[in-house]
Amino acid sequence: MYRYDEFDHAFVSARVDQFKDQVERRLAGELSEDQFRPLRLMNGVYLQLHAYMLRVAIPYGTLSSRQMRKLAYIARHYDRGYGHFTTRQNLQYNWPALKDMPKVLDELASVEMHALQTSGNCIRNVTADHFAGAAADEVADPRPYAEILRQWSSMHPEFSYLPRKFKIAVTGAERDRAAIQVHDIGLHLKKNATGELGFAVYVGGGQGRTPMVAKKIRDFLPVEDLLSYTTAIMRVYNLNGRRDNKYKARIKILVHETGTEELTRQVEAEFRVLKETDLKLPQQDVDAIDSYFAPPSLPLRPEGWSELAAARKADHSFSIWVDQNVTPHKNPDYGVVTISLKPIGGIPGDATDAQMDLVADIAEKFSQDEIRVSHEQNLVLPHVAIADLRIVYDLLLTDGLATANAGLITDIIACPGLDYCALANARSIPVAQRISERFGKPERQSDIGELKIKISGCINACGHHHVGHIGILGVEKKGEELYQISLGGSGDEICTIGDITGRGFSSEEIVDAVETIVDRYLDIRTDKEETFLATYRRVGAAPFKDALYSEAANAA
Amino acid sequence: MSDIPQISHGDLWSREGFREDPYVVAETLEEAGDAPAIILPLAVWLGLEDEVRNATNRKIGVSVAPGESIEPLLASLDTIPVIALQFPAFNDGRSYSKAEMLKNQHQFKGELRAVGDVLIDQVAYMLRTGFDTLKVSHSVTLTRLADHNLHDTPVYYQPGRGSRSAPGTYSWRRVPSA
Ligand code: HEM
Ligand code: SF4
Repeated sequence: MYRYDEFDHAFVSARVDQFKDQVERRLAGELSEDQFRPLRLMNGVYLQLHAYMLRVAIPYGTLSSRQMRKLAYIARHYDRGYGHFTTRQNLQYNWPALKDMPKVLDELASVEMHALQTSGNCIRNVTADHFAGAAADEVADPRPYAEILRQWSSMHPEFSYLPRKFKIAVTGAERDRAAIQVHDIGLHLKKNATGELGFAVYVGGGQGRTPMVAKKIRDFLPVEDLLSYTTAIMRVYNLNGRRDNKYKARIKILVHETGTEELTRQVEAEFRVLKETDLKLPQQDVDAIDSYFAPPSLPLRPEGWSELAAARKADHSFSIWVDQNVTPHKNPDYGVVTISLKPIGGIPGDATDAQMDLVADIAEKFSQDEIRVSHEQNLVLPHVAIADLRIVYDLLLTDGLATANAGLITDIIACPGLDYCALANARSIPVAQRISERFGKPERQSDIGELKIKISGCINACGHHHVGHIGILGVEKKGEELYQISLGGSGDEICTIGDITGRGFSSEEIVDAVETIVDRYLDIRTDKEETFLATYRRVGAAPFKDALYSEAANAA
Repeated sequence: MSDIPQISHGDLWSREGFREDPYVVAETLEEAGDAPAIILPLAVWLGLEDEVRNATNRKIGVSVAPGESIEPLLASLDTIPVIALQFPAFNDGRSYSKAEMLKNQHQFKGELRAVGDVLIDQVAYMLRTGFDTLKVSHSVTLTRLADHNLHDTPVYYQPGRGSRSAPGTYSWRRVPSA
């Protein structure tokens, strides 16, 4: 993975020093909260309902064991013993004291981490496929390009005061695990007919109150043009994006109001001017960054397969976990392990300091020292030998990390909601916990099959509810917390925004409503192979609305 | 914090320090009277006859609001002594792109000036996108600039003015050229 050189170190430590100075001025009363606000936001410090929150950037979700141990250490010493992994592959600390922030940033800097550009109207932490560099279906590792974009976008002089925040995601496989079509820019790394690498470029996707699927504006952009083309998009947006209304300021609105064709014309025109400038990426630089992400040399371990067969036979729970949480690796003797941070009835995405330390230890011994954070709020061990699956499972089991539910109905994404967030209308976490408990039985989950539930506590959609197969949105009506349901959303390569079913449900009703939907699905699917999403796409909303509204009404 | 410095020599700042601003900002030519150096709003400047704009006995610059396009200026860049790009609020970043385009794409050789809500945390960005001068009124900014504390980083990840490529590293990385 990428290692800082002197250049990166000099940059980050200068920024930490500046922030120390700002915090000291704030604590001394020389800066008012209003004056301090933009400065702290630039360093990832938010003010939540009860306390300051620190959002730590985990570029493209890749961590080493050493970094994970540091995150555990910070959770233990400066927070209440846990951290929250987010849908943006970041980590949030909910309770650090302001006076400790500079120390925390120093700790992070000591393991090549920071909290820069995790908030504010700048280019945010670049995200990527969490299986990057490991998945069997990948064309090329997207992380070198995410790293180049990370560097290029850090404290960008032209693009630090954009109309609104800006999110870029990169994937290197046809199967889109990075939800690129709901990002401001989505890049799909692929090969053309002659085998050269380049990107399909998508622009203007996003969630929030006006969800939109991104438009493809380039089918193939050569790698050397990555920075010049991105600059062209950013410049067109910076100059023309709306600044009169915060809710219309994202690039998706610009794309929508300008029209894809005209916007593409503007971007291409700007690109022609920039193409032959010093933004052109020399192949040697791409290669140099690439070398940091060289695939680990994995010894052949063919004995694993017979061991696995025996272990599966002996332990049914282990066998289910392998089915559910292990994905094929490029190397046939290895697997990609998803560590679920969704224990039944738990808080999605939370991990204790001890759990983080345990994951760090396991990764060091059994996954080439590498860990990933997924936008589904889980952790990933990218390179585990099939022969080591059993021991890894046993270790995970010791601290509640072996829940076999990746991709299932209890693998719920939920935003912090009213338990933490000042903007929330409703609680998200307790709803996730209750749904998880309702469907927690392994047989029931596995019978239901792949089903993604995503919950947001307000229309900002931090919990991605628009792209949930079942999306749940907290709304407020006459002082009551209500939950609106949408169906059929999907954030993968066939990207769709879910359809709202109708009137919302109270906190008491919402779990039953979800169950009604699931039961109807089980009734009408052609067979077990037809997933919830496939069924929804075949039959549409009507049977589900019918189940939710007429039957409930009849029963009452 | 040190005391607000005596900035008797003016409030126009450049890398060389503070100096008196020779320009008078006016809404119209009439309002400017016989001032020898004037900055006019874009719309007014566009309405001037060529011979007035290019008169040799006085300098006439132009001020551009964030919502206005620099397009109509491009044909006359050789003759414009100063372009003032406005920052009505620090978080309106449109003028950064215009600075970049004027200085790097269109090779504007005159003075490029930032006016408005110029805060210390943005100064480094302004210099790097091509601004030559900053018109400063914010007291903390004045103090910090007087102390030569630019709130800058020692290295940059992007090409930009006032920097050169960092030898032996990636093509996009730069170090200050000072
Ligand atoms: C203090 C807590 C938070 C605040 C105040 C906050 C605020 C916001 C706001 C205002 C938006 C809407 C942006 C727009 O539509 O232009 C948004 C979107 C988003 N936030 Fe948060 N958020 C918080 C926590 C989180 C957390 C914990 C996550 C990750 C789990 C997250 C991930 C996202 C994502 C993925 C989006 C939507 C995608 C998009 O940008 O279109 N946020 N957030
Ligand atoms: S969706 Fe709303 S409630 Fe949830 S974290 Fe985002 S802003 Fe807060």
